[in-house]
Formats: sequence, structure tokens, C-alpha cells
Amino acid sequence: MRTTNHLLAATAGVAALALSACGVSNTTGGSGDGEEYPAGGVEMYVGASAGGSSDLISRAVSKGLSDELGASFPVINQEGANGALAANKVAKAKADGKTIAIQNASLFAITPLAVSEDEVTDLADFDVVQGVSRDDYVMVTGPKSGFKSLDDIKAATKKVTYATTGVGTGAQLSCGLTYASADIDAEAVPFDGGAPALTAVLGNQVDTACIQVGEAIENIESGKLTPLSVFGPERVEYLPEVPTAKEQGLDVEVSQYRFMTVPKGTPDNVKDTIAEAMQATFKTEEYQAFNKQNSLTPMEISGDEVVAQLDEDKKRFADLVEQYGLDLGQG
Amino acid sequence: MDVNAFLDGFALVTEPQNLLYCLIGVLIGMLIGVLPGLGPAATIAILLPITYSIDPVSAIIMLAGIYYGAQYGGTITSVLLRLPGEASSVVTVFDGFALAKQGKAGTALGIAAIGSFVGATVSILGLTLVAPLIAGWALNFGDPEYAALALLGVLLVATIGNGNKLKAMIAAALGLLLATVGRDSFTGAERFTFGSLQLTEGIDFVVVAMGLFGVGEILYNLEERHGKPHVPAVVTNIWPSRKDIKQSSGAIGRGSLIGFVLGVLPGGGAVMSSLAAYAAEKRISKHPERFGRGAIEGVAAPETANNAAATSSFIPLLTLGIPANASMAMLFGALLILGISPGPQLVEERPDLFWGVINSMYIGNLILLILSIPLVGVFVRILRVRPAILAPITALITILGVYTINNSTFDIFVMIVFGLIGYLMKKIGFEPGPMVLAFVLGSIVENGFRRSMLIFDGDPTGFFTRPISGTILAAFVLVALWPVAKSILARRKAATVAPAPTERDDVDTPTR
Repeated sequence: MRTTNHLLAATAGVAALALSACGVSNTTGGSGDGEEYPAGGVEMYVGASAGGSSDLISRAVSKGLSDELGASFPVINQEGANGALAANKVAKAKADGKTIAIQNASLFAITPLAVSEDEVTDLADFDVVQGVSRDDYVMVTGPKSGFKSLDDIKAATKKVTYATTGVGTGAQLSCGLTYASADIDAEAVPFDGGAPALTAVLGNQVDTACIQVGEAIENIESGKLTPLSVFGPERVEYLPEVPTAKEQGLDVEVSQYRFMTVPKGTPDNVKDTIAEAMQATFKTEEYQAFNKQNSLTPMEISGDEVVAQLDEDKKRFADLVEQYGLDLGQG
Repeated sequence: MDVNAFLDGFALVTEPQNLLYCLIGVLIGMLIGVLPGLGPAATIAILLPITYSIDPVSAIIMLAGIYYGAQYGGTITSVLLRLPGEASSVVTVFDGFALAKQGKAGTALGIAAIGSFVGATVSILGLTLVAPLIAGWALNFGDPEYAALALLGVLLVATIGNGNKLKAMIAAALGLLLATVGRDSFTGAERFTFGSLQLTEGIDFVVVAMGLFGVGEILYNLEERHGKPHVPAVVTNIWPSRKDIKQSSGAIGRGSLIGFVLGVLPGGGAVMSSLAAYAAEKRISKHPERFGRGAIEGVAAPETANNAAATSSFIPLLTLGIPANASMAMLFGALLILGISPGPQLVEERPDLFWGVINSMYIGNLILLILSIPLVGVFVRILRVRPAILAPITALITILGVYTINNSTFDIFVMIVFGLIGYLMKKIGFEPGPMVLAFVLGSIVENGFRRSMLIFDGDPTGFFTRPISGTILAAFVLVALWPVAKSILARRKAATVAPAPTERDDVDTPTR
């Protein structure tokens, strides 16, 4: 069940109404051809509750788009099914660019490995407009576990437990692949999100955890957690001392990245407008500070490059999962 | 604790600008608390852009004010309209609504306000003095402990009701079953979703509570009052009497402690605290039969506890960087946007913010208490409104509230279904309380148990060998066996006083 407190979105709706009303009055006064995009405002869906990194990124981009395009881009939270509910909203919306969403790579590349076929979100329902940023995972351990490096874990005599942020997430895949490819006897303990997983590893309830860098970094810097590995293609700027899994001889490369999507068949000029406004946003100091504060690595590549990366990751993950006989869910 | 930094924090809070933001925050919080569904997390999200332009300390003082202000507002709908906006105020409904029906809504709201103030203040004192200590304790509280605690909670649920025990247990069992709806968080398998993507995330608490309590009550009243002339409710007490305050002082004291301790636990602490505080009062009371029929302690205890818990849930955020609930997650996000990372280093890196926010809560709660006094008089007048007008408004509030949780019309229909169930339950004498509470606790028990078994590698003895979970389970056994032991003792006593034929005793003893 969802906890009562996740009551996020609501107000966003009310605010959306209020703001979009302003948007209309702004645009109708000026230009002659009143229908120019994005007159009247654009709904930005996010498939997670407020407060998490998906939500904060959407809000940061929303603010940038509003500033660049002079219309409102209210963020509407529709949590559920790893983001599939929000994805559905966009897939079924009219292809006019009035309903858009920043989506997570995991929904397309990892979640399909864990859920049944009819729940899989299809990338073909969307046009990918622009890459946004990469959110790396880090494997951490508590000080009382006695582990200092991956090698210590390899030498462990008992079964090692690892907390993940849920079924079908990159956290589960990165930790799972690490243990499977290093041939370590380990048990996954799924939690509902990053905060409870962090709590568990801080309290030595589990031996290790894979969580997003932004969630762990404060406790890493204060010495309460020991980082063991990151899983990106290269080291993470914010944790320069921590080696990647590749450097440690493991064939594991998993990261979360996000990108802007619109319904399939949206006109090119609309897509270009959005992409250009996003690129302008990326250049602002405010946005760059936001990335830094949240330990995000810019991944501001084109939509086509995102699609290519997604296709490659999807295939690679499926192969690895099969090769190591990893069970993410019911399959 | 650094006394100088603490005092500097006070100096910071009393700056006019910060006082103003504190006032704005608690005022907004109180207002949104009245509307079920629209919670503090949503409000903080909307106000997030404003925080870009003001001083970080003022911004966080305001956002924190929204959060604890909402705890005050939530009581109002629970008592007056039988609409618990969040899980932690479900138990308030039992006696609060009963008091309102007796014309004592003012007493209930007044005591709730006083209790909330005391609970929050005790909790802030705890936050000021022992935050780092107790944060470490919270980390020792792992899944085995949550599972044991929630199991104890389920047992309490079955015993706190006032009606038929068997019916309460049936309702609680149904609640546990409802908690299983949605995607299994361990295997990703769908359970009772019937192929609906909307159900994969499970059913939201607010949807169930609004339906069973709110809509169920409206439907039941429609039938009850059909054709009868409207008799305006007598509103006798506007403000609690000295006797009421005296009667609830013990409950407020115990509620503060229970709330503070349980609120520190991230995940489920607040719900457990109000439930535990209520159950404790009922056990201690010499007249437990008054509970559920308008006992003032039944309002004082849970309301004090949930405010104390709401306040102490700042501890994991400020000292460990762990958000304990959705509102704390929003505050976490707000702090990040302002360039501050909440975590173990916060108190050293930004003592102004740490102590500024904590000290603003002393003042914010005082403002809330002062605001509550005149507002109680205003709100109780709602009860004078004739049902023909009040019922549609209540229905509107429930629909709006449920829609705002996830912008989903599907949820509205689910709520209406629960409304029908609530109506039928009331007709055949089932209380919705045990069902709703068991529903909330069900997933904590299940997830806690399954995660523990993964951690223990399938060995259940771990539950008994860990000190905290072992203690809780011992308490569980005690609570479960207490009524049995009591009746045996009573029987012995009766037997010594009047040695009557033993077969007769068995027939006579069951009393309620």
C-alpha cells in the first residue's frame, strides 16, 4: 500500500490551473498567431512522488522551461508501477507537446526484466527529445560490517546481504550483477525506495546496499558509510576516490539516466522548441548548481543518442541477467 | 549540545522576518490540514519555487511550519465530520466523533489543541537535548523490530474497539487482506490487481479511510434521517472545563512520551504512536468501557502522541539525513535546493539552520495553540449546519481529497466502493476502525517479516534473540494473555469468596 503521506500531486493540479490561466493571459496579448507552442501551458508528468530525485529534476527542468518559453510547465506527480502510470498518461495524450514527461531509463531497460510482459512500457510509444542527466549508483557498507573493499566481500565466509531500492530498479541490478559476476553468495533485500535502504545499511541491518549517490553522499563524507564501488562508465565526479566496478574487474555497468519524452508523432518544431529550451536551461548557473547539489552528472545528449543507449542497455542487461542466472522478479 | 549555538538559534527565530514566515507556515499548514488528501507534502511541493527567493533559514522555518501546522488541522475533520485525513488520526475519530455527537466537540478540539501543544513541546525539548542519542537508537530498529511492533499493533487494533470483539477481529482480518493488494515488493508479482495498472501501487490509506468513515457515514445518515425533521446539534461546551483538563492530563503526559519515542522511527512510527497511546489509556483506565463512547482521554492521548511523533520525525532527517515520511522527503528536497545537505554534519556546518528550525518550532506551536482557541468556536458551528447541506459538502471534501492524492479519478471510484462497504458494515454492526488500522499495519508486518527472513537467511529464531524485537514480542504475549489471566484471577477470587458450583461460573463470567 501507499503511505498516506504520499499525497503530493494534488496541489500541483490546482497550481497548474492557476498558473496556466496566467500563461494564457500572457501569450494572447502579444503575438498575432496565438497558437504558437507552448501557449496555454504544458503538463509535465512525473512517475514518482514529490521529493525524490526524479521529481526534483522534473521541477528544475520545469522551472527552466517556464523561464525560457514564458509559459507554465506544472509538474504533476503520478506515482506508481515504477513510473508506468505517468508514462501511460503521456503515451495516450494528444501528440501536440502539451503533455510531456522526463522519464527514467530503468522503466524501459530494467523493469521489463522484473515484471510480466503486459506491464512493460514500450519505448515505441514515445519520441525522445533530449537527454537530461545521469544518476549513478554506489555500493556502500556500514562501518561495523568490517568490509573495506570488494575484495573483503569476496573473502567473506558467510552469506552477504544487500539492500536495494526495490524490484526492477537499477540499484537491484547493479548490486545483483556485482555479486553474481564475482560469484559471491549474497541475498537481496528489497526496500521501498532509497531512504529505508539507507537506514538499513546505516543501522547494520544489512551488510551492503546499492543506492543513488545523492542519497548516500552525506553519510559517505562523514565517514558513516564506506563506498565500495560505483557502476557508471567512468568514476563519478562527486566521489573521485571510488573505483568503478569495471576497474575492479567486474563486467557491471548500470546507471540511471533521465530524458525528456513526448507522445509519438509530436511535430518536429515542437520537439525542437523543447530541446532548445532545455539546452538553454542546462547552461544556466542555477541548473548547474542543482546538478551538483544532487550529485547528478550531466548527460545532455540528443534524443536519438538516448534511444540508441537505451536499446543497447536493454539488450546488454537482458544478456547479463541470463548469463548469470539472476532473478530480478517473476520474469 | 552547544549552548551558544542554541541561543543564537533563538535570536535568529525572533527576527521579525522569521517570525512572519513561521506564522505564514503554520497558518497554511493548519488550513491544508483541514482538507483530507491535500497533505503537507503536496503543499511544500507547491511552495518550493518560492523558497528560491527567500533566505534559506526563513524558507525552512516556513516549510516546517506547514508540516506541523497540518497536524493541528487534521484533528478538526476527524472530530467534526468523522474524516481522518491521515492514518495517525484514525483513533481520534472513535471518541472525538462520539463527543461531537454529544455536543462536546469544543471540548474535544480544545483538549486536542492543548495535547498537541504539550506533545509537540515535549518532543522539541527531546529534539533539543537528545537528538543524536536517540537517532542512533532508531537505527537499531530494523525490520524484525518493525514486524514485531506492527504485530503488537494489530493485536491492539483488535482490542481497542468497543463493540463485539469477534466482529472487530473479522474487520481487522479483512484490513490485513486489503493490504496485500498491489505489486509484491519482493518479487514484482501482481496481487489482486486484476490486470489494473492503477492497483499496482496498492490502495491508498486515504482512499480507504475516506470511503469507510466519510462516505459510509454520509450514506448511513441519509437513511437514518430520511423524512425526519432536522434537530440542530446542541453545542454545549465551547472550551474544555477544568475537570476535562484534569482528566486528560495523564493521557497527555503519556501520549507525549509514546509519541516522541515512536516518532523517531522512520516508517510507521506516527501511526503506531497514536494507536499505542490510545490502547495504553484504555488499559490504564478504571472505566475502559467509556472508550469509544466519548472519553476525553481517547482524544487527548492519540492527538498528543501524533503531534509528538510528527515533531520527533525531524530527528532522523536533521541528524542522519534520512527522511522519515513524504513530508520529510519534501523538506529534504527543499534543503538540497537551498544548497544544504541534511545529514550528520548539518549541526556543525549550519548550526544557524539546525537551531533556527528547531527553535522556530517552540514558537510555531505556541502560535498554533493561540490560533486554535478562537477557531474552535468557529469550527464547532459546522455541526449546526443541517445534514442536507453538510452531507454534500462532506462528500465533496472526500472526493476532492482523494483525487488530490494522485490526480486519479480511479481512486474516487475505489473510495465510493469503500463507502458502500462502510455503509453495509455499519448496518450490520462492524466498526471501520479496526479494518483501516489493520490495513495500515498489514504491509508493515508483511514487509518487515519477509525482509527479516531474508536477513536472517530463513531462521525465525532471530526475532527472539534480538533484544528489541524480543522485548516487543514478550509484550505481545503479555497483552494477548492478559485478559485470559485476568479472567482466571477473577474466577479464583470469586471462587474463594463464594464457593459456587464451578460449571456455573463458566457460563456467567463472559462480560463485556
